[in-house]
Formats: sequence, C-alpha cells, structure tokens
Amino acid sequence: MKKSGSITSPSWSDKFSQGLFFGLFCHEMCFLQFIWVSHSQITRLYSRFTSLDKGENGTLSREDFQRIPELAINPLGDRIINAFFPEGEDQVNFRGFMRTLAHFRPIEDNEKSKDQNGPEPLNSRSNKLHFAFRLYDLDKDDKISRDELLQVLRMMVGVNISDEQLGSIADRTIQEADQDGDSAISFAEFVKVLEKVDVEQKMSIRFLH
Amino acid sequence: RSAGRAGNWSLTLAGVFPCFHVIPSVSNIVPESCLLIVVGLLVGGLIKGVGEKPPILKSDIFFLFLLPPIILDAGYFLPLRPFTENLGTILIFAVVGTLWNAFFLGGLMYAVCQLGGPGLNHIGLLANLLFGSIISAVDPVAVLAVFEEIHINELLHILVFGESLLNDAVTVVLYHLFEEFANFEQVTILDIILGFLSFFVVSLGGVLVGVIYGVIAAFTSRFTSRIRVIEPLFVFLYSYMAYLSAELFHLSGIMALIAAGVVMRPYVEANISHKSHTTIKYFLKMWSSVSETLIFIFLGVSTVAGHHYWNWTFVISTLFFCLIARVLGVLVLTWFINKFRIVKLTPKDQFIIAYGGLRGAIAFSLGYLLDYEHFSMRDMFLTAIITVIFFTVFVQGMTIRPLVDLLAVKKKQETKRSINEEIHTQFLDHLLTGIEDICGHYGHHHWKDKLNRFNKKYVKKCLIAGERSKEPQLIAFYHKMEMKQAIELVESGGIGKIPSAVSTVSIQNINPQTLPLERVIPALSKDKEEEIRKILRTNLQKTRQRLRSYNRHTLVADPYEEAWNQMLLRRQKARQLEQKMNNYLTVPAHRVDSPTMSRARIGSDPLAYEPKEDSENLPIITIDPASPQSPESVDLMSEEPKGCSGLPPSPEEDEEGLVMRVKEPSSPGTDDVFTPGTSDSPSNQRMLRCLSDPGPRPEPEEGEPFIPKGQ
Repeated sequence: MKKSGSITSPSWSDKFSQGLFFGLFCHEMCFLQFIWVSHSQITRLYSRFTSLDKGENGTLSREDFQRIPELAINPLGDRIINAFFPEGEDQVNFRGFMRTLAHFRPIEDNEKSKDQNGPEPLNSRSNKLHFAFRLYDLDKDDKISRDELLQVLRMMVGVNISDEQLGSIADRTIQEADQDGDSAISFAEFVKVLEKVDVEQKMSIRFLH
Repeated sequence: RSAGRAGNWSLTLAGVFPCFHVIPSVSNIVPESCLLIVVGLLVGGLIKGVGEKPPILKSDIFFLFLLPPIILDAGYFLPLRPFTENLGTILIFAVVGTLWNAFFLGGLMYAVCQLGGPGLNHIGLLANLLFGSIISAVDPVAVLAVFEEIHINELLHILVFGESLLNDAVTVVLYHLFEEFANFEQVTILDIILGFLSFFVVSLGGVLVGVIYGVIAAFTSRFTSRIRVIEPLFVFLYSYMAYLSAELFHLSGIMALIAAGVVMRPYVEANISHKSHTTIKYFLKMWSSVSETLIFIFLGVSTVAGHHYWNWTFVISTLFFCLIARVLGVLVLTWFINKFRIVKLTPKDQFIIAYGGLRGAIAFSLGYLLDYEHFSMRDMFLTAIITVIFFTVFVQGMTIRPLVDLLAVKKKQETKRSINEEIHTQFLDHLLTGIEDICGHYGHHHWKDKLNRFNKKYVKKCLIAGERSKEPQLIAFYHKMEMKQAIELVESGGIGKIPSAVSTVSIQNINPQTLPLERVIPALSKDKEEEIRKILRTNLQKTRQRLRSYNRHTLVADPYEEAWNQMLLRRQKARQLEQKMNNYLTVPAHRVDSPTMSRARIGSDPLAYEPKEDSENLPIITIDPASPQSPESVDLMSEEPKGCSGLPPSPEEDEEGLVMRVKEPSSPGTDDVFTPGTSDSPSNQRMLRCLSDPGPRPEPEEGEPFIPKGQ
C-alpha cells in the first residue's frame, strides 16, 4: 500500500499524532463496526479533511464542502454534501466523514467470504445502492416519488427542457420500475432495476482500497 | 479472361453466402470463417486443377481495400463506455502483451533455428524477431469473425477485440524496425532507443491523424443540411483518408481509422438525416461483410496457390511457442492488472482471453510483403504463418463455443437499456464525480466529467448544427427509446394486437424475435389502453431515429421506418416553418378550407387508413407547435380517440387557426404528399397515424430489430 501524500503543513507532527489518534480510534471502530481501512488511507483522508477544515476545529460544516469548486457545478452537489451530515446536524467530524466515504470502497473478494453473522460491511452492494437511494429520496419515506424523480431529472438535464417532457420521462421511468403499483419506486424495485448495472464497479473509488 | 475471372469470383461469392445459412446445423458448430477458408481452398484447388494460376491475396489489395471497411465498421460502432472503462487493461494487453509475444517467440525460434540443423541455421536473430513480430499480433478480423458468433459478455469481448485493434501500432513499429535492422550491419543502442520512441510516434501520430480527420468530418457534416444525399460519402471519405494518410507516413492506419470513427460519430449522428444514418450503417455492414468473406476465401486460395516450404521443426515449434507465449503473457499480465482493477479478471476470463488470441490475414499479408532478397526463407515463414492461422481459426475457433458453454462464461445480456438504467447511471456518474472531488482524488470519473463539460461547452457548439447542440444526452436517449417502442408496436400489427399495458414495460425487454409471434390480445381495459396511448402520444417527440447495432449479423429490415421517418421529417419541417411564422404574428393568415383540405390530405396520405370496425379505439396522434424553448421538438398532445373518418376539425377551431401557405418544402428530397402549405393552426394540425395492419402479415424478420447494443 502506498504511503500517504505529501507532508507540507508545518505542524504536521501534531496533526499526524492527532491523525494517528483518530486513525487508531477509527481503526478500532472500523474494525469493530465498519470495515478495515488501512492506516495510509486514513492518514491521507485525514489530511484532506484538515485541508478542507478551514476553521480548524476538527469538524466540517456545509460551507467547507461548498468551497470545493467542482462540487458547485455538480448537479448533485448539495445532495452529496447533505449525505455527509447526520440527521439534523451541521457539523461532521472525521469519523462521520470516513463513514460516508466507506460506502465507496471497492468490494474485496476476500470480504465476500467473511462470516455472515457480522454486520454487513458499508461497501456491500446493497449498502451502496441504499446510499444512492437515499440521495433520491429526500423525504425519507423509502420511496422515490414522481416529484423527487422530477427534481433529480431537472437537476441533471438543465433548464432548457420543458416540464412536460420531463414529466413524461419521469412517468415512463416509474412505470418501468414500478411493480407493486404504488406509482413510486421502492428500494427493492430500485435494486431490481439496477441489477444489470455493475454497481460494484460504478460505485467504487479505486484509491479507497 | 479477366471477365472470366470476375465471373468466377462473383459466382463463388453468390454461391457461398446462402450456403452456410441454409445449413444451420453446420454453422452452429463451425464458425463462418472456417467455412469460408474451406471454400477458398476448394476454389483454389479447382482453379489449380483447371490449370490456371490461382490468384494470391496481394498485400496492397488487402491493406488498401479489404481491411479498412472492417476496421471502420468496428470503430464507428465501437461501444465507447466499456472501451474507455477498460482502456488501461486493453492497452497493457495490446502493447506489453504483443511485445512479450514477439520477443519471446522470436528469441525461442532463434534458438530452435540454431539447433535445428542445416536447413535453419542461416536464419539470423533479426529475421526470427521479425517473424515473431509478424505472428504475434492478435488479428481483429479473425477475432470479430469468431467472437461475434459466441456472444460472450461485453467485458471479454471488448478486452480481446480492443487488444486486437490497438496492437496494430506495436506490430507496425516492430515490423518496420526489424525489417530495416535486417539491412544494417550492426544495431546500436541508439537505434533501439529510436525504435522505442517511434512506437509513441506511430501510435499517437495515428490517433492524432484520426482525430483531425474525425473533427473535419464532424465539422463538414454540420453544413450538409442542403445536400443530404452525399452525407454518407463524407463519413466514408474522411475515414478512408485518415487511414491512407496514416499509412502514408508509416503511422498506424488502424488506430487512425478507429480514432476517426469514434471522434466523428456523436457529432455526425447529431447532424445528419436519419436516412443518411441508415445508409451509413447498412453500407458499413455490407462492406465489412464482403471484405471479411473475401479475406477468408482469399486466405484459402492463397494457401493452395502459394509456394510452400514445409519444415517440420520450424512449423511445429512456431505453433507450440505461439500458444505458450500467449498463455504465459495473459497469465502474467492479468496478475499485474488485477492489482489495479476494481472488477478483477477471473481465471475463466483469463482463459477466454488467452484462447481468443486468434491470428489472421494481417499476419499473412505482412509476411507476404517480405521480399526475397533479404529474406530467403520467406516461403518457410509463410508456411508457418498459414499453419498458425489455420490452427487458431479452425481449432480454436471451433472449440471456443463449446468451451464457453462448458465453462459457463457469462453471456451477453440481450435486454435493452432501460430509461431507468440510463438515468441512474448518469446519477451515479455525478455522484461519484462529487465524491472524488471531495476526496481530492482525480480519478476516472473526474476526468470523464471534465471531458463531458468541455465537450458540451465548446465542441458541441462547433460541430453540431442548430439547436441539437444543446440537447442533453438523457433526452436524446429517451426519444430514441420511445421511437423504438412505437415502431415495435406498429410492427406487431396494430392497436388491436398490442399486449396489455403491464407488458408494455416488458416490451422493451422482450426479444423482438418473439414479438411477432405474440398474438396476445386479452381484452384491454379502457384505462390501460389510454395509458399506452398517452405514452405514445406524449413521448414521440423525437424526429430522428437512432438505431445502433455493432453486430454485423443483426441487420433488420424495417418496413415502416421509411414511411414513419418521412412523416416525422415533414412534421419537423412544418414545425420549423410554423415556428418562423409564429414569430411574425402580423403575417396574414390564409384561411384554408380546412375540412376539405384535411380530407384531401388524408386521402392523399399514403399512411391513410381504411376505417375498421374498431376504429374508435385507434389512437390519434396530434401535433402541436413546439414550445418556445425547444423549437425542434414536435410536441404531441393527447386527443380523444376518434374514428378516422371523424377527422376534420370543427369549424370554430378553424376560425382561430393561423394557417400559412408555404412556397416550397425546404428540402428538395421530400415528396409532396404532405404539403407544408396545408399545415394549419396550432390546435388544428393533426396527423393520423393509425397503427394498422397493412395487409398480409409480413414474415417475421430475423435478427433483433431496434435493440441498441449499447451506446
């Protein structure tokens, strides 16, 4: 595994020890609850975390995220940012940051054979899909309604397309996926529709090994 | 005499094509390429028996005329998404794998030659290395011919096929290098380094040439709205010029051709008419089919015709070491590649990749190009090359299908891409790009997103004419899908025979080969029918139809496509004119006698439909003027179903109508059945598109109509 990235900050040793502490902490928690994440990855992400954290208080706020320029032009930018923050909170600490990013870890082959008794790892296919589903489903009723779909479509497609056209696309989408006739896409239907898409590859970031 | 020869060949071709399609059992076991070679052998034997000298596959004919159509067909319809996702893997296999093969084989053959006794001793290291470089390249023609019939999953197909395309650069460099070095007395380190550098020049130069011509072609297609008839010519012309230019400078012609096809395709398709698109598709498939057939037949004939020099040691060891080199290469490279892949390659995959390393006519032609003065052992080389080709095509080609079944390798998914998949895939793309940005990691998604943005902002504006440059990909996909479904419904024989709405969803998942057989007509409930109609009406906004298929064997005749598309073209033109008129509200309106005009229109419309008893259930698609923001789209609004005879608009609607009379249709090609002059008011214009049975049931078409094999 590669070593972490560049060492530029003058108080790196402080930050490193802090990071190491966090890393060990996370290591413990990760091993127990989530997934095994290597030290080098933790330190690398921690340095990213601290570079985003302009207020230097060990947590990130929404403004910190919004300062990332590419995120501003991403149609899903706001929703992604919201996904990092737990319910009702405005700050996310490093552990929460890692927890969200852990969804995007590639699925290792040896993990598939781990015992089924433990909690399902965050980067399992089902959990990855659940993460994406939550980004659609803003009101958290476990269904993607027509309006929610319309909102997403509008964000992705831009302003030039008429509402009618988008509406018909949304109707068509729901009709394709809907099997229990409630005119909304439940999580099970969502999973079924995406069964041909290689989610393990699409929703994984390579460097989060 | 030449007429006799030409007659000879055309008879052969004419005889060959129907033969193995008539004997289905044979074509299940033996791939087409094998049969063709056998035919070639027979023909060659025949000619020789008659006493004439059979023609040999000359290299310049091969490289100039037979190879480009196949490569262009492959490049134009290349499935871009899996290709780019696996580009790293493909490149490693193509470059490193081919280099390994060439040097391993060349080195070992040199050892064999040294030990092989008097007949082989004189063959130097360079000659052996040259031989190794000729024989080591996986051949795209052979791979296409065999892999298309076994329908393995997309990943393996694109890996082997992509490798066969991209290794051309390596082959070209090695071939020229060793050929030149054979003339040198001494090869210095500088020469080797220059050779190494020339690889980059050849490959990147080839790609650059292809990109330049692709951009020029795309740009040209922007202005062809008045000369639709020659649009396909530009595609073929520029691609061929890209190939020739690259070959002229000893760059990689294949890579230039692929790059040109890939670059020009999205823009050209957005610009040209659908007739031209259809033309391009069919011409490419036709040419590539003919080329492939000719290549294999010629291979057979050349085998009979050529001078052979059979040396057991050389040939057998070549064969043996080829296989060993391939297997070893794939194993080692996969072990290395799997460290970097998210979806690892399983041993089954590796086996198929290794087994799919077929050699073909390119190797033969390269060997044929060697001249006798410098390479006296040319005949022996040719014999060995032909033997290897025969072995890979016959043995490996024939056994790969049962092996694929035996190993239960994943097959190609036959279902179409649904709108859900498209939306969610784009959604996930955005999501992953965002996550990558948060992590500060500039990965695959980040660069893809940047490229897309650049494309949308600058390139599309330059290369795509008019309003289409702003159309998002999702909308284009959606329109294409709706169009496809509507035409399928038409083909299945009319509204009375539409399956119930529940399976409307599954229509797109049904293999259309079974569709004509489905005479499912349970009684449709009224609201389900209304649903179907609503879908059709509200969603048929696309004026162009895209049919994408990159399997040469799945051409489908579309009897309704022409009429439908013509109709929509006319609609589009009427729409455009209407739009212009709407901008100038002071234009005096010509009140046309609408009822009689519409009746006349219906009467003269070839798509007019004789009323049947159940006519009140027929959907009627009406057209409304485009909403201001998308002038090109034809917005179809819903209407109460009416019988066909009840068409004429009511008088009061007519009063409000803004009717215009147009001088002449904007494009010379359209016939005047529907004259735009009779296009009438926004709320009045109607078009009757009755999904009717034209008469005796047409034969179910073979092949799979309208399934996009991917984008």
